[in-house]
Formats: sequence, structure tokens, C-alpha cells
Amino acid sequence: MKKHLTDGQLRAALDGELDDVETRHLESCADCQTRQRVLKAQVQRAAARLAFLAPASADPTPSAGSAWARFKREILTQKEISMYKRLFASPALRFGALAVLILALVVAFPTTRALASQLLDLFRIQQVTVLPVDFTGIQQLDGPISKQITQLISSSVTMTQKPGEAVEVADAAQAGKLTGYTVRLPQGLTPSSLLVMNASAFTFTIDRARAQGILDEAGHSDLVLPESVDGAEIYVNIPAVATADYGTCPKPRTDGSPDENGAGSPGRRYADCIIFTQLPSPVVNAPADVDVAQLAQIGLEFTGMSPDEAAAFTSTVDWTSTLVIPIPKNAATYQQVQVDGVTGTLIQRPSDDAPQFALLWVKNGIVYTISGLGSNSQQALDMANSLP
Amino acid sequence: MDKSSTHESIIGFMKLRRTAQTDRVSRDFEALFDLHWAAVYRLLCRLVGDPAEAEDLALEAFLRLHQRYPAPQEGFNTGGWLHRVATNLGLQSIRSFKRREHYELAAGRGAIERAASPQPAEIFDEEERRRLARQALTGMNPRQAQLLIMRHSGMPYKEIAAALHLSTASIGPLLLRAEREFEKRYQALTQETP
Repeated sequence: MKKHLTDGQLRAALDGELDDVETRHLESCADCQTRQRVLKAQVQRAAARLAFLAPASADPTPSAGSAWARFKREILTQKEISMYKRLFASPALRFGALAVLILALVVAFPTTRALASQLLDLFRIQQVTVLPVDFTGIQQLDGPISKQITQLISSSVTMTQKPGEAVEVADAAQAGKLTGYTVRLPQGLTPSSLLVMNASAFTFTIDRARAQGILDEAGHSDLVLPESVDGAEIYVNIPAVATADYGTCPKPRTDGSPDENGAGSPGRRYADCIIFTQLPSPVVNAPADVDVAQLAQIGLEFTGMSPDEAAAFTSTVDWTSTLVIPIPKNAATYQQVQVDGVTGTLIQRPSDDAPQFALLWVKNGIVYTISGLGSNSQQALDMANSLP
Repeated sequence: MDKSSTHESIIGFMKLRRTAQTDRVSRDFEALFDLHWAAVYRLLCRLVGDPAEAEDLALEAFLRLHQRYPAPQEGFNTGGWLHRVATNLGLQSIRSFKRREHYELAAGRGAIERAASPQPAEIFDEEERRRLARQALTGMNPRQAQLLIMRHSGMPYKEIAAALHLSTASIGPLLLRAEREFEKRYQALTQETP
């Protein structure tokens, strides 16, 4: 072989990664050997600087068993459908959280009831109900089915009023001017940022064939969506949202792009972050022939609930005024608490590295949430009780 | 057997089959986790220099794998995919300035504690060199940085090529280019550092 080796081949030779023919050439070619010596000095310099990457036999490693146990706990969290996860764990999406919540509600837990009129304001939040669900049974929420659900939602939604960029405001009075309602802030605390997001609206058009296809593929052919829902348009209006951050919180993103410090545990990055949001109840309008109870039952059975349990739950809820929040049975707890002069709901997710909490209540038509990372949920109660 | 009981039997059978499939998938994934956990964790631990962060990142890499599981196609290179995702997560993590400060403190403290005969000045110098090297890596084209990390972690060319979707023959030239780029960035950082 007459042709000299390239620098790249000489580099590979230093790692013993050259094929036999080229290796023989190198062994017999003084010119290539000289060039390789020069290269070797460069490579050794880089190798010395990167030596900390080299495996060491003494590297202590947490056992696969303990890591697996933690992993399974994390999976439980991952499975808690986006609504729960976004409400707590992705504060970056908090401006979209209520929209997502309502959207998820429409898809999984429809909130409308057939009334006499063709189109009415069917849903305004007056109360909050928590529904513990065993999400571990929904293996199909991982993988392709999850993608199909996401695609179905994104292709079924038309934004009719985009909220635009959040506007930073100086105080509650200025926030009130922009939102059109009285914005309340906890006394004695200074927010690290106070933002107002304009009102938004979207229409959700039900594609029965695709939704049924997903149910079938998920192994739920026993659940049949009624023909009447096909093409039904559901209108969702979300009023302006005021959000106050306390502590170090991630920057809000309305485009769904990931947090810029995306890697690692949010629990450690934003350990002191508490987010307080308020907005008048979103309004959902739907055609009168949408059979809410039936859809709700299908949604509940999809999560793994038995038909009897699902029927029992749907019959206890006033779907025209209740925000139903599914929480993971295995990974979160909830309790009713007296707060701001009304009954609120405190949801907590215990976790070794990133405990989370959210306090929700409705007063005078305004929905309030205080959510944060950490286990000190008393802070949320104190904040709520200090509102003017 | 009347129609309704036949219907119930079919539904019951489908539910049983779904449960059995779920159990099998879960066992298969646990086996994968066992197989790759140590390698992924150690790679990240060396890369970011903080065991707690490395554990978080390694779990995140496995969670992302779990979201794609069962494997999207036959012959899916699980180990290579995990290494690629893990190095990306590690680099992203290092880029966060606040986290970097934390790593350096943790890594420096750990090194001093582990040293048989403590010589803080030398340990400090060594940690400073590592800090510069990590910073140089994060400033590079991510693909070049991944290549350097994988190779200097001891991965053979064939495995690197599979993980990064490259031909084995291209690894030598790309590696050399990456090392030159790394050196240039490292030198620039050294000159910036007083």
C-alpha cells in the first residue's frame, strides 16, 4: 500500500482501532510514523485534560436495586397524566396549566351536562373535587398511545384568542387594571415577579373515530364513545391570569418549550419557589347533545376504574360547577382545609427529592392556586390566610 | 352461554391479557435497567462530578427510555441510546452556572475527603483543570463533545459509532477534529482565567 494514512487514520491507530492493512502500512512507513508522533503529543494533551472521564475501579455506584426502587416511584409520577404533572412539577408551563387542566377535563372528564338549550355556559368552577386514581394500571399511557393522544389533542384544538406574552407588572393595583378584576396578594411578602397573562380562548372539536381508535388500540374496545359526540365543538374561554412568584422560580414559557435549565431535579433547582395564581373561572360551552355522564364514565374506566366505581363517582358530581382533579392514588394525598374563609383542597405529593404541594380554592368566582416544591405546605396556608 | 356472559368473558380475557403483557414489559424493562444502570450512572458521575446530580440525570435518561418502551424497532441499540441521552443531559446540566458552582464545591470537597494525604493546593489545581475541561466541553458542538466524552470514557469506536449513528471509519477523523477544537477552547479559557 503506497498511499499514506490520513491524520484521522493515524488518530485511530493510537487507539488500536485501525484495520490490519492500514496497521501494516503504518508499521513500515517512516513518514506516517513521524506524523503520528506529532499527533500523539496533541492527543495525549487532550487525554490528560479529560482523564477525569476515564472509568476508575473504585467508582462508588448506588445499587441497581435501590435505583430501580426510586425509578419505579418516578414512573408513578410520570404516569400521572399531564394535568397533574403540569400543575405541580412544571411551573414553567403554569400559564398553560389551567388551559391544559380544562382541556384534559374536556377530554377525560367532560364537564358538561345536556341541558335544554342548544348552547349554554355549562361550566363555571364553583368547587373543586379530588379524585384519587390508580394510574399505574394505564401502561398504555406510555409509548405510542401517549403520542396519539397528544396528536389528537393538538390537531383538535383551534386557538381563537391567543394570550400573548406575559406582562410584568409592579403591583396588585396595576395587575387589577390589566386583568379587569381585583388581584389579591398575600400581605407582608414581596413577590419575586408579578405577571399578567391576557385572556385566551380555544375550540376543541371532537374527532370520534380517532378517539375511539385510541381506546381500541389501548385494549379498551369495551368502551364505546357515543356517535353523538362526533364533530361536537367545545368552546373554552380562559380569563386573564395573574401570577405571583415567590423565591427562585423558572421563567414562564407559553410555547411549551423546555425549561432552559432542563436537566436535573426541579426540586433542587427551585426549592424555594412558590407560585400563586388567580383567575376568574374559565367557562366551557358545549352542545346540549353531548352526554356528559356517559363520557365521564368512559374517561374514568379508561383510567382503570371499575364500571361500578365510575358510575358511583359520576353520580356524585355536579359536572356543571365542579373542577375534578384526578390525583395519583399511590403518589399523592389530599385533604380539605379551611382557607381564606372557604373550604379549599390541599394536595401533596411526598417525595425524597422533590416533594410538591398545591392548594386550591374558589372564592367569589375566582379560582386561586398556590403551588410549590418542598414539603412545607403550611406556607401556602399562611399565604392564603394573609390575603386582604 | 348467553350473549352477555360471552361478552363479559371476552372483556375479562382481554383485561387478563393486558395485565400479563404489562407484567412482561415491566420485567423486561427492569432487566434492561439492571444491565445498563451502573455504566450510565458512572459515566454521568464522572462527567458532572456530583453523585446526587448524576443519579438524578441517570434516572431521567431511563425515564426517557421508558417513554419509548417497548423498543421502537427491532435491533434498537439501547446502550448506545442511553449513553447519547445521558451525555446530552450531563452537558445540559453542566451548562447551568448555578449548578456548576455546586458541583465544583461538592467535587472539591469530595476529593479532599478522599485524598490519602491531603494537599489542598494540588487538589484545588486539579479541580480547576476539571472545571475548565467541563466548561470547554459545554462550549463545543454537542456532537463533538459527546464523541470526546464517550471515547475518553473508554468506549470502543464501534460502540461510539452505533450510539451516534456514524460509521466506524469516521470516528478517528472526527475524534481528532474534536480534540483539536477542545484544546483550542481549553487554551482560550486558560488565558481568560487569571
